[in-house]
Formats: sequence, C-alpha cells, structure tokens
Amino acid sequence: MFTRSDDKITTSQAVVLLTDSILGAGILTMPRDITEKVKTPDAWLSVLLGGIVALLVVWLMTKLSQQFPGKTIFEYARNIVGKIPGSVVSMLMVIYFMIIAGFEIRILAEVNVFYLLEKTPIWAVIIPFIWTAAYLASGGINCIARLFQIIFPVSILILLLSFLLSMRLFELDNLRPFLGEGLPPVLEGLKSSLLIFTGFEIVMVLVGHMQHPQKAVKAMLLGAGIPVILYVFATMIVVGGLSVTAVLRSTWPTLDLLRSFEITGLFFERFEFPFLVIWMMQMFCNFCSQFFVTSLGLSKTFGIKFPLVLFALMPILFIAALIPKTMNDLFALGQTIGYMSIILFALVTVPLSLIYLIRKKGLRKHA
Amino acid sequence: MASYIPDWPVFVQAGVTLLIPVLLYFVHRWFRSVVTNGRGASGKLPAVPEESASPLTGDYDADLDSIKQAIGSNDDLHFREYKMAAFNIRAALLYIDGMQENQLIDTQVMQVLMGKEDFMKEMEPSVPAADKLAAYLKQHILPVVEIEEVQETHRLHEMILNGYTALLIEGTCSALLVGKPRGKTRSITEPTSEALLRGPRVGFTEALSENTLMLRRQGLTELMEIKKYTVGNTLKRDLAVVYMKTIVNQDLLQEVEKRVSKINLDFIAESGYVEQLIEDDILSPFQQVQNTERPDRVINALMGGRIALLLDGTPFALIVPVTFSMLLQSPEDYYERWLAGSLLRMLRFFAAFMSLMIPSLYISFISFHPGLIPTELAITIIETRERVPFPSLIEILVLEVSIEILREAGVRLPKPIGSAMGIVGGLIIGEAAVQAGIVSPFLVIVVSVTAIASFSIPMYSAGITLRMLRFVGMFFAAVLGILGTILFFLLICSHLTKLKSFGVPYVTPISPIRLHDWKDLFVRAPLTLMKLRPEMMKTERKRRKV
Amino acid sequence: MRKYRMLTLLLVVGIMATQTGCWSSKEIEDMSMYVGLALDDGKPTATEEKLDKQGEGYPKRNLFTATVQIVPVKTGSNNKQEKGQGKGDGFLNESETGDSLIQLMRQYSLRRERAVIGHHLKVIIISTDLIREQNIDKLMDFVLRDNDIRPSCIVLLSRGLARDTLKAGNSEEIPAFKLQAMPRGHFRTGEIMRGVNLTRLNSLIGSKQSFMLQEVASSDGETEFSGAGIIKGDTGRYVGPLDQMDVQSVSWITGDIEGAVIKSYNWHDEPMTYELKRLKSKIIPRVEGDRLSFHVHIESEGRIMENWDVDEDPSQSEFLNRAEKIFEKTLLQMLEHLLEKLQTKYKVDVSGFGKQLSLDHPQYWKKVKDRWDEVFSQTPVTFDVKFTITDYGSSKK
Repeated sequence: MFTRSDDKITTSQAVVLLTDSILGAGILTMPRDITEKVKTPDAWLSVLLGGIVALLVVWLMTKLSQQFPGKTIFEYARNIVGKIPGSVVSMLMVIYFMIIAGFEIRILAEVNVFYLLEKTPIWAVIIPFIWTAAYLASGGINCIARLFQIIFPVSILILLLSFLLSMRLFELDNLRPFLGEGLPPVLEGLKSSLLIFTGFEIVMVLVGHMQHPQKAVKAMLLGAGIPVILYVFATMIVVGGLSVTAVLRSTWPTLDLLRSFEITGLFFERFEFPFLVIWMMQMFCNFCSQFFVTSLGLSKTFGIKFPLVLFALMPILFIAALIPKTMNDLFALGQTIGYMSIILFALVTVPLSLIYLIRKKGLRKHA
Repeated sequence: MASYIPDWPVFVQAGVTLLIPVLLYFVHRWFRSVVTNGRGASGKLPAVPEESASPLTGDYDADLDSIKQAIGSNDDLHFREYKMAAFNIRAALLYIDGMQENQLIDTQVMQVLMGKEDFMKEMEPSVPAADKLAAYLKQHILPVVEIEEVQETHRLHEMILNGYTALLIEGTCSALLVGKPRGKTRSITEPTSEALLRGPRVGFTEALSENTLMLRRQGLTELMEIKKYTVGNTLKRDLAVVYMKTIVNQDLLQEVEKRVSKINLDFIAESGYVEQLIEDDILSPFQQVQNTERPDRVINALMGGRIALLLDGTPFALIVPVTFSMLLQSPEDYYERWLAGSLLRMLRFFAAFMSLMIPSLYISFISFHPGLIPTELAITIIETRERVPFPSLIEILVLEVSIEILREAGVRLPKPIGSAMGIVGGLIIGEAAVQAGIVSPFLVIVVSVTAIASFSIPMYSAGITLRMLRFVGMFFAAVLGILGTILFFLLICSHLTKLKSFGVPYVTPISPIRLHDWKDLFVRAPLTLMKLRPEMMKTERKRRKV
Repeated sequence: MRKYRMLTLLLVVGIMATQTGCWSSKEIEDMSMYVGLALDDGKPTATEEKLDKQGEGYPKRNLFTATVQIVPVKTGSNNKQEKGQGKGDGFLNESETGDSLIQLMRQYSLRRERAVIGHHLKVIIISTDLIREQNIDKLMDFVLRDNDIRPSCIVLLSRGLARDTLKAGNSEEIPAFKLQAMPRGHFRTGEIMRGVNLTRLNSLIGSKQSFMLQEVASSDGETEFSGAGIIKGDTGRYVGPLDQMDVQSVSWITGDIEGAVIKSYNWHDEPMTYELKRLKSKIIPRVEGDRLSFHVHIESEGRIMENWDVDEDPSQSEFLNRAEKIFEKTLLQMLEHLLEKLQTKYKVDVSGFGKQLSLDHPQYWKKVKDRWDEVFSQTPVTFDVKFTITDYGSSKK
C-alpha cells in the first residue's frame, strides 16, 4: 500500500512518544523535590534507582501489552477481567491521565506567567495551548508521533547544550561527599524519585499502536531510558552547579542554574531563553500525549466518537488545570500524581498481569 | 474541599474553550464542503451540446456544405478547391489562414496531386475504388510524414480550427489531415524563475511536444512513459503524465491518474489550475505540488519515483508528490560538490526558519521580554526606539507591508526600472522612515534580513507561503509574546504533520524517520553514498546502482 | 440562515479581537533598567527629605537606603537638573529609604516617567555599615525571590557608602558594568576573588557557614577592589575586613588562583618578584580520636619575573635555589598572618577548611558543623610550602 491510514507508528516513533510523555514538568522542579528528601548531594543516585524501578515497571507493562497485539489497555483490560471491571480499570487510567494533563499545563502556565508573561491572565495561556493540542490530537496518534519526532531532536540538543554550558558553574565538590551518610538518605529519596517518572503508563497504550509489536520491549525500555538518563544528568548538573543548600532554597532550581550565568559574545547571552522555549514545546508534547490517551480511553471505553471526546475534554481539562489554587496545592498535586501512579500500578498492572498469567496457565492445563 | 471548586468565571472560560473550537470546526467543515464541491463532479458545467457523431458521407458537395455551415462563419477559414488531375476528381484543401506551412502544402500536396505526369507512370493501372482512395493516397502518393485520416465531422471541424490543413476528396468518406499547424513557439531560454549558476540552461517552453522532447532528450531510456490526457471541457488541452515505468509506485500512479481524470473545468489555462484541482488540501497554506520550469529537476524527480505532469501551453511542469524538504532543495545542490551543496542546503533551511520567525521573535522580545535581550543590546534598542511612537507590532507591520508592496511592484515593473525601484524602496524609504521616527534602525535590519532570507528560498511559491505565515506569526507574538510564537510554530508543525501530498506525509523523511532519506535532506551526501531511491516513494526498483 | 451565521461569526471574531489584548505587552522603550543596586544605612538623602516634606509618604521604618543605577537616561529631554548623586552621561542614580526592597522599587516608578525593570541587574553593592546591623539573608531575600532579577548578578561589599561606588568615574563606562567586569581580573591576580553571584551567595548563606565577599573602595568615582569582608555564618553579619594580602593568602590555601605574584626582598634587600604558573594546594584534615588538625600542602611552580638586583644572575641555579627559599618564607609569613587573623581576631573560617573537612570526614563534620567557627579557631594548622622556579623569563642577565 502506498498510502496508509491505519493508526500504526514506527518503532522509533514509539520511542520518542514514550520519552516525550515522561519528560515534562519534572525537569524544572525535580532536583529540589529529590534533594529535599535526600538532603545530601547523592540525589542523582536516588533518581537513578527510581529510574531503574520505573524501567522494570515499564518492562512488565510492555510484556503484558505484548500479549494482546494491536490492542490497548482499554481493550484488553476487558478481555482479561471482563467487561465491567475492565471499564473500571480503563476509567482509572483515564482519570489518571487527565489529572496529569491538567497538572502539566498548569505548571506550564505558572512558569510562563511568573517568568515571561507577568500580567497575562492564566486562562489566556492555557486555552490556546489546549486548542493547539486538540488540533494536533485530532490527527490521531500518527500526527502526534510525527510532531514529536520533529521536536524531539531539537529539544534534546538544546537541553544538552544548556547543561553543557552550565558546566561552567559545575563544581565537583558540590557533589561530594559521595555516599557521605551511606545509603539510607538515598533510599529515603527513592520515595519521591519514583514519582517523577509518572506518565510511563502510556506504554500500555503505545504497544498496541506499534507497527512491529515484537520490538516493543526494546523500544519501550529505550523510550523510558532516555528520560531516566536525562533526569540523572539534570540532577547532577543542577546540584553540582548550585550546591545542595541553594537547590533547597530555590523554587525552580534548573531555571536558576541557567539564569546564573551569561554567555557574553553569543547572541543569546541568556540561555534560559532557548531552554524555556524547548521546555515549553516539550510540555506541549507531554500534554498532547496525555490528552490524546485520555480521549482515546474515553472513546474506547464508552464507544463515543473520537472527535466528540476531544471537544468534550477541552473544557474539562481547562477546569482541571485551574483547580489548584496556590503553588503549594500544585506541588502537592504533583506528589499525589506520583502516588496515584503507584496505586495504579498496584491496582491495574499487577492484578491484570496476575490474572492473565493464571488464566493462561488454566487454559494450558485444560488443553 | 469545596474551596477547590473554581469560581464561575472559570466555568465561563471553560465554555469559551469548548465553544470556539466547535464553532471553528463547523465553519471549517462548511467552508471545506463549499470549496470541494466546486471541484467535484457536481460542479460539472453543461457540456457543449455534442453534435451527433456524424461521419462524413462521402458526398463531396454535401460534406463541403456541412463543413461550411458548421465552421464557415469563421472568416479566416479558407477553402481551396481544385481538381486532382490524375483521377479527375475534385478535392478541397481546408485551412485556417496563417496556420499552415504554405510551402510544404504547395510542394508536397498541391504539386503532387495537381500534376499529371509525375506519378501516373508508376501508378497501377486500375484507379482504386473511391472508398480506398484516401488510404491509397496516404500510402502511395503523398510524401508527408504526418498524415491522418478523419472520418468524423465534429473532430474534423476541431482539427481544422486548430490549424490542421484538411484535404477533402470527392468520393471518399474521410478527410486527410495533411499539414500540421505551424505553431509559433518561442525559443528555448533559461528559466527565469529558477535561475542557477551551474546546470543546464534550458527551460520548458509553452509547447507540450517540445517539453516532452526535452525530457526525452535527457537520456536514452525505454523506461520513460508519457501518457496524454485531454483536460478542459470547452477548450481542450493536452496534459501529459510522465513517469518511469519500473520505478514509479503503481498505487501512486493510479492515484494520480484518478485525480487527473477527475479534473472538470471549462478551461485549464495554466498548470496552476491543475495543481489546485488535484491537490490534497485546498485550505492548507503549503503547496502540495511542486512546479518547475527545469527539465533537469523533473528528470531528477522522475528518477526518484515521482510523477510529472506537463500541460500544453505553459512552461511550468508539476511534480507530485512533494514533501516539505523539496521546497528548500535546489538542483544545484547536486551539481556542486557535496560539501558545498550540503552547506548551502542547511543555509537555506536556516534562512527559511529566519524568514518565518524573526519578525515574531522581534515583537516578543521588544514588547514582552526585555529580560531576554543582552543588556548592552537592550540599552541600544531603548535608545533607538525612544522616538518611535508605535508599539512594535504596528512598527513592524508598517515596514513589512511596505516591503511586500515594493516586492509586488518590482515584479510588475519593467526590468530596468525594477531594480532601481528596489534600491529606492530599500535604501531611501528605510533611511527616511528611521529619520522620520516611524521605525527604529534595529527594525530595518530585522525586516531586511527577513526579506533577504525569504529570497534565498529556491521555490518562489514556497516563499509566498512563508511570507504569508510570517504575518500570522506576528499577530500570535503580539498577543502572547514568546509563548504565542511557540504556539504559532507548534501550530504550523501540527498542520504540516497532518498534511499529505498524494498519500506521502508532508514532513517525511523527518518523520516518519527514514534515515536512508536523510542523506538527501539537510545534507546532500556524496553521490556515491546515495545508492537507494527515496524510501518514502516506495519505488519498485529500490537501488540506483546495479 | 447562512447570512446570519456569517454575522454571528463576525461578531464573535470582533469581540475576540477587541476584548482580548496584549496583556503583558510593555514596549521596551517605555522602560528603564536598573543595572546596579547599592544598599546603605537607612539615612534619607537630602532630595528624599525634601520630597517627603511636600507630600504624604507611607508608613515605613528607615532601615536602609537603596540606590539604583538606571540606564538609559532619556536623551530627548535635557535632564541636567535631575536629582540623584551620580550624573554621568548614560545613567542616573536614584535613592530611596525604607524597609522593603520591593516597595522601594515601586517607589522609583512614582518618581520616574518610565517603569524600572530588574532583568538586567548586574551588580549589588552592600555597605559594610548596613550589613553590620542587618542579616545578609534578610537583605538578599527580595533579590533572590524576584522573578525579574537574574541570579547571575554579582554581590560586592563596600566599606564606604555603597552608593558612592556607583558614581561616575573618569571613564565613560557605566559604573555598574565596570564593577561587574572587574572580577574577571581574577585570572591575573589572587587579590581578586572569584565573583560571587546570587546563586553562589544563596548557597553560602544557606550553608550557615562564614564566608567572605569582595570589598570595593571608592573615591571620586574611581573604584578599586580592596580585600574582602567577612560575614559570619550564624548571624549573617559583617565581622571585619581582610586586606588584599589576606585575600591572596586565602586563594593560596584554597588553590582557587589562576595568576598571582609574590614580591619579596633578597639578601641584598633588593625586590624580586615571583610569578605563579601552576599551583597545587591541598588541605589535609587529620582526625585522631577527637582531636582535629589541619595540614596545608602547597606546591607551586613559577618564574622570576622581576629582579632588581643587578649584581646577581638569576639564571644560575644557585640563585634560584636561594630565591625559592626566600619566596617560600614570604608566603609562609603571609599564611601565618592570615591564620592569626582568622583564628584569634575574627574566629571564623573562610578559607575552605570546613568544606574540606566535610568532604573527607562527613561524620566528624556533622558533629562540629553548628559551632565550626569556634572549633576552627582552636584547631592547629600547619603549612608546608614548596616553590620551584622553573624559568626566568626572556632576559638572562
């Protein structure tokens, strides 16, 4: 076939989609979130450990999804546990994705209003973003994947460039002593570092859309691995550049790091500008994929037409984004999302896998 | 918990969030339905009442009369009646004044047929029967290469009016078209819209036969196939579909043929008509068909598995399908050595980005984010802008619009004045505007860089797209600053990802990523490395080399 | 029906176009930027008092006086009569007294036709008089919290009036830019500290340990870096100055030095100068039981760059060996002098001993962290200095 109209994405698109769904608001606040718990310069170790745990979960989810080629969680949940419990599971996922979407766009708006557009009402920032995302999402997963693939290389490049440039503030002493207080603080930090990789649940939808589901494990692990590496790198650079005490005293430590130096002689003397630009694009990607999955889930679960769901979700997401009243509410919501991710894992992924295994065994015995 | 329920304005805003897209959606659907109706079958014009396909009767007088009745009211139609000495029968030459090759007709037709002795000697004793006479003349007597027998009157009329010289012979049921119209074509010149420093200097002309000839001349091959279609309901024209037989993807070919055969319009004046009638998305600002005057460009596309459409009467050939990167590529990339070609190509990508985004960035920096400009520059800008009474949007609009007007005027003006005009406009008006305090000197730099950048785009029509979108971007930036600029960029990207040209996603090979094709995207890899044809075209023969 | 649809559409578009606006849009030419901020003791300036007398003020305590340097000055109007102390070509200094920095910033807007923005703040100068009374953490709270001010701006102390450092000098340059550029001389001499920007200051304040900040002296608009001021960690207040030699000594100990010269007198009492090429210094904390001691090991390579003793030949290795000894002694004296000052006079540690301890013995550090300055002042420190003169420049006499 020369023209294709099915909703299949290539392996590389799947990698980028997953990466973009994880990489989001976290990069601005994550170094502080973790350091608050760890209180030593070893925060990056917590991130690494958290990342490894997240990768394990991703692996499990991929394996589970691979058993149902061409199907997303919203469909195969029904196959495993029956129609009504399956719908409940789907709804849980949908609500979860919806909250993430609202959260991401709110963070985006807050940073924008604080640093860039001081007098602009928050709705004027959020609404155009929702519209643009809806326009993209209406093209289906293929268009989303294509856009991500265009933006991804640029954003990774600028992200790495920003980090490399901030190396001028980097002092190895800020990262020392290594394990000065042993492992306990690192494990303490694991509690919150597990939360920063939220969004990877999208795996259970992505695998169903892959052109070559047999390559899913590798793709998904790579897709989740890129953000893990970036987050570890970011934590090291930020803590190494600012020192633990300054990280703890800063609301947006990553931005503070980039604002701490000026590169004279370049046209961009101030490197937070390109960083903010690509970060906003990244946030858009993140929001878009959550938005898409939410609408997909709703339309699959209730059998409503996809465009209709898109329209209906726009005002709902808008209200969801405006529910937190203060910054503290917002950060608390971020934490809650992390806990929800764990609960979801306990309530959805694990039982589904177990029930599936038991059934399969049962079938084999009968056969 | 109740305190978390948002206030009523939030709900109103949420309503707006829903309402406007719904509204836009319906407007868009309505508009699209209106537009696409115009080119679908329903818009078919009442066809010219076909004269019943009546063949020539064979009765010389009656036939001549009927022709006179049908098209005789044209004063430039001449009837030259004479007697064929050899057979002693009457014949008539019908032609339009000035369109036949007089000398050819005189020596090859008149002389042969009117003279007695020349061929009577060789002639076989029996004069052929009346119905075979035409064929006999064709085969044995007339020393003319192009000769055609026409039996059907309607077609005969058309051919005569189109400039053919028709020979009507008493007793035969068909007329012979003996002389081709003497088309006045211009000489082959260098294409003005796509001038190159290096590369062939030929450009297409208005005559289809010459254009196909130019393509055939590119090299010896039996793969190239040219299929002709007739387009236009009232005024008919030839449209040639050119492709490489074993390279092109058959599905693509079928799709193109389907769309071409659907063309339904009174008259196709230029290949631009064809382009607009076969493109995928009418509402998109991006062109989904590439037009070119260069045979080498067409051949290159054909070898990559694309299809070219050539219309009679225009030097612009169309190439489908097209992808975004093609708009920024120039044949010269391939003629220069690969390093220079690659660098130039990247420069062009950069220029395209600049010409699209710089004005929006200017607005967002000047009006929204003074904190993002380097300090020294900020001071200079403040000092220079002090006398400018307008906000940056108005300021930049004033200058951008005048530049666009200048450019438009420059196209219309005769060449010698055009360049003078450019200098007057660019230098003097810019300088004077700064002096008058309408714009700041910094802006003049911004606008001129933008304008120059947009000149570096090899495709003129792609340049228009970017110029158009630039203004949209400025309004986005004027409302939301850098965020608006980003939104604008994302919107364009979203649109591009949704766009397809004949089934090929517009942004391939950037996405879906086809690394093989990247050799010919931002860089132009050495020719020895480009062993494969573009993957995206799904060609039948993948390899370029054996 | 279709007509009405178009009408409604036009109406909606019209409402959208007129009711939404460019909320945050502020044209750049309608603003001025403050590039320098000087904090002084709270004494209203003469101008301010005059202005206050004429109008109603607002409730405040005169805790400090903030002077901002505003660029660019509007060139159109001839503002020779503008108030403020500094009046150069391209800038303007304005002072306000009060107890909230952000309130003062808004006060400037009352006095100027253009709003001032802080995105381009380059340098903050705090007078030692002010910081003797106020915790630096309190003073810096606003600049650390504000969304406009970039943390890349550097912080200096001034022994005199801080606002004097922002006065115009002989050069055309804007004083704030000059002050910002000056720490770049760090690579030439050890007497200039590495510039401390807000991020670094934030981390220093947050660590609750004592630290030092570059001091700047000013006279008639000319400014000079003159040693450093020590700020005590637990109180966040100024305790006293270190002179230029001491600053250099600190740099020798921490090894944070890129270029330095040591002048000494040889056996004929003629000056000669050593230029540093390479320095390796290491603080070695020793914990034996509960007893803590430090050993500082300094190894340096350099060259003789000036020698006034015309009778001697610096290319002789004998001369070089003798010179090395002399330089070593000079440096030792400098270091002892510094240590004496730190341990007995100020009782603080600003030379990186604590940091090294925290890296090497985190457990021990945890115990003494909160009273480190005290502990340090009783800790024995030994030095071990080794100089190697590798060459003698391009003259061989």
